[in-house]
Amino acid sequence: MKELSMMEAIREAMTKKMREDPTVFIMGEDVGAFGGCFGVTSGMYEEFGQERVRDTPISEGAIIGCAVGAAATGTRPIAELMFIDFVTVGADQLVNQAAKMRYMVGGKIKLPMVVRLPLGAGTRAAAQHSQSLEAWIAHIPGLKVVYPSVPSDAYGLMLKAIEDDNPVVFLEHKILYGVRGEVDENAKPIEFGKADIKREGKDLTVAATGRMVHEALKAAEELSKEGIEIEIFDPRTLFPFDKETLFKSIEKTNKLLIVSEENKRGSFAGEISAIVAEECFDYLDAPIRRLCSVNSPVPFSPVLEDYYMPNAKDIIEAAKAIV
Amino acid sequence: MDLNNNKIIEMYTTMKKIREFENNASKLFAEGQIHGFVHLYIGEEAVATGVCANLREDDYITSTHRGHGHIIAKGGDVKYMMAELYGRETGYCKGKGGSMHIADATRGILGANGIVGAGQNIATGAGLSAKLRGTDQVCACFFGDGSTNQGTFHESLNLASIWRLPVIFVCENNLYGISMHQSRHQAIQDIADRAVAYNIPGVVVDGNDIFAVYEAAKEAIERARNGQGPSLIECKTYRHHGHFEGDPAKYKPAEEVAEWMSKDPIPRLINYMIDNNILSKEELTEIDNTISKEIKEAIKFAEESPWPPIESVVEDIYTDIVEEVRK
Amino acid sequence: MKKIGIIANPASGKDIRRLVSHATVVDNNEKINIVKRIILASQGTGVEEIYIMPDTFLIGHKAIEDLTLSKELKVSVNILKMDVHGTLADTIRAAKLMEDIGVDVIVVLGGDGTLRAVAKGNSKVPIIGISTGTNNVYPKMIEGTVAGMAASVIAMNMCDKNNTCIKDKRIEIYKNSNLLDIALVDCVISRQTFVGSKAIWDEQDIVKVIVTNAHPAAIGFSTIVGVRKIITDADDFGASVNLNVGDDYYVAPIAAGTMKLIRIDEPEILKIGEGYKIEFNFNGVMALDGERELIFKSGEIYEVKITRNGPIRVDVMKTIESAQEIGFFKSK
Repeated sequence: MKELSMMEAIREAMTKKMREDPTVFIMGEDVGAFGGCFGVTSGMYEEFGQERVRDTPISEGAIIGCAVGAAATGTRPIAELMFIDFVTVGADQLVNQAAKMRYMVGGKIKLPMVVRLPLGAGTRAAAQHSQSLEAWIAHIPGLKVVYPSVPSDAYGLMLKAIEDDNPVVFLEHKILYGVRGEVDENAKPIEFGKADIKREGKDLTVAATGRMVHEALKAAEELSKEGIEIEIFDPRTLFPFDKETLFKSIEKTNKLLIVSEENKRGSFAGEISAIVAEECFDYLDAPIRRLCSVNSPVPFSPVLEDYYMPNAKDIIEAAKAIV
Repeated sequence: MDLNNNKIIEMYTTMKKIREFENNASKLFAEGQIHGFVHLYIGEEAVATGVCANLREDDYITSTHRGHGHIIAKGGDVKYMMAELYGRETGYCKGKGGSMHIADATRGILGANGIVGAGQNIATGAGLSAKLRGTDQVCACFFGDGSTNQGTFHESLNLASIWRLPVIFVCENNLYGISMHQSRHQAIQDIADRAVAYNIPGVVVDGNDIFAVYEAAKEAIERARNGQGPSLIECKTYRHHGHFEGDPAKYKPAEEVAEWMSKDPIPRLINYMIDNNILSKEELTEIDNTISKEIKEAIKFAEESPWPPIESVVEDIYTDIVEEVRK
Repeated sequence: MKKIGIIANPASGKDIRRLVSHATVVDNNEKINIVKRIILASQGTGVEEIYIMPDTFLIGHKAIEDLTLSKELKVSVNILKMDVHGTLADTIRAAKLMEDIGVDVIVVLGGDGTLRAVAKGNSKVPIIGISTGTNNVYPKMIEGTVAGMAASVIAMNMCDKNNTCIKDKRIEIYKNSNLLDIALVDCVISRQTFVGSKAIWDEQDIVKVIVTNAHPAAIGFSTIVGVRKIITDADDFGASVNLNVGDDYYVAPIAAGTMKLIRIDEPEILKIGEGYKIEFNFNGVMALDGERELIFKSGEIYEVKITRNGPIRVDVMKTIESAQEIGFFKSK
């Protein structure tokens, strides 16, 4: 066990797989000697060289499309985009190529590729460098969507993502890069579709992803003082999605609050809500509640950005209102 | 030029097989046997044939929505192709792809593509992969004139050039992006001109002359295999039919059609073969009959093949997840 | 009226030599720019009327449009009225039309193939060839402005054409006494049996080279003779040489950047006006000025003849110099 930041955990997992398997390589803007936009690949260029830690032009379509071709022909690329916001530029390659190629050819091609997409607000980077677009991606059949919230999950999920024979979109919340936690370097890969209960409780299930898991944990401390014990459900992967663990939690608490940094309209939070309403309605004692960001672009001013997205205080208020 | 008579006859057979397959596809579509969008390669046969005649089985290609010819030229079996057009379980894609996505992945065909220009980026990936794995495989990337106004064209030529990837960009300039004549959709006449901007060789060849295509492809492929990097070959050609079956192509002037019909690549090759005593008229008829029989058998195979089972709708999305998709 | 013609071939500078001999593709927008510079230089020195061949890329129209928008166009520029097929037949036809209109000189942008076509359509009007490629023997790499000035001098009759223009030789190819085709510089006989990508670069298949002129610096197949014997415009003969015979090897630049070791025999002098019979015992192709053109069959008999029926070629530098001497550039 050692204590690693989220960023280090992702790097260590990629490094481990690259040492084991010569067909794994990284490509993206400034991932080489520069070390990546946020420093995630820092030091990897020195170990693996420019062929395997490969700088690309600012050309998102080329990055994802090239990864598709490389994955289809015997290598395991890890493609990094600087910000999830730029996935729109390379969207065709992700949505129409990576996600669908296997299906369109009747299962005769496999695409073992990872697309790493840093996301999330809180860096005062305004509307085009701060979004949470996971609902878009989770909507597309053919992609798997991973969203870790702590270093140990990031480590185990990245190992699995690289081993997986399908296109995996790996979401990394920028604010969480510095979050530290214990990581077992000998840990096995974490299977997709296995949620993690980040805190146990009996009064309310709070389903949260990414940074919101941490806000929920903060809220839980405060609520506990007032005698309210919330259970925090972290799906860890949006597809496949672990319904069983969520339903089991709701069977215990009978109440559900979903917290997400996404714009509320059309969010993955809405998908979770619909799943529960359809399949677990009988266990609910209260209406499902979604706590998401305002339906506005991410604003720049710190005052506006802080207001824009949910925080621990909002979760406390919402929890109290439900319980 | 190591182009012996057997190779010439082989190329003729491929071109004729494409023509016969497409003529039948056209007829079957009109009769309602084939559904969806069907874009035919009639008129452009020399391009796929001349390029693929220089490729090895382990080389890659990326194809387009007008892809039937590429698949046949890369060695695809018309039986499984026809079954795919019919949407049957026995088709190359188990009935999940249809005309626009026919591909035989076991022959290095990295999908036919319904998105104009998308194969260009994928081709760079195949080239990069070959380079990283240390093989001398190459990837021939087919695309039309219309796609050269997409960002993918510029992104992929740039990437292939800076990384010296073994990719041969083959532009099938058939003069039209759907209904828009090239002179209206771009301010250049020769797409090969654009190669200069990416520091790669760009050549123009008569795409209706099998020998011209063969020679240029041979040189470009050798170059790629030797690690010298990508090339752009622009083949001037013409599609005899509309953009898709059902498009009456009223935008094509009659004189233009007549002129290009006179440049049809298949009669040109037949004349050459007869003139040079490469085969007799009787031998030619025999080849044509064999092809005709093969296509008839393919249609019969397709007609007699079962529809895909309903359950298969959720299969082949992922390598491991099936049931979860259904829920 | 002082008239000049301009013929620009949009297809030149794009062939397979981009792949086989380190040539660069010449883009058509540069050809438009060259045409604009010819127009500006010639109108600036007295030309009053310009005729341009129409083509599939509309080079002439685009040059006129650009110069009209920039308000620089003073002279009358006309696009010839003729059908456009996008083949060399267009060039032959345009050269003929220009001769009929009575232009004083034709400026041609293209390669050896384009110049050959102009020569087929016209033998009376002097021509200035601007090379738009790296592999040309006949047209030269000259700036459009310079070509425009020289054209102007010819049109204004400000030089002694006997001194500044050369009546070139050509190779005439006959079958059954019918003139089939011509070459301005070289005719290469190859065992290849198809035209394919037109350009010829594979010396292995070459059997014989026939030339009007030969010089080691005149990059192309004529250098195969040129490395053994220099033949100039002034010489009243051409020559032929057989490949892969004899014991002597020579290095020759058969294309830009392409040096080949070639075994050749002693060049045979071909006197002007005399017919030489060639009988083939194999199927093959004749490449004329570097491009495969004429397919022949085993057993066929051809006759080649070097003549002085080639185009009248303007020596651009001499023309400009002699005009300068008599005050051509002095303001009136």
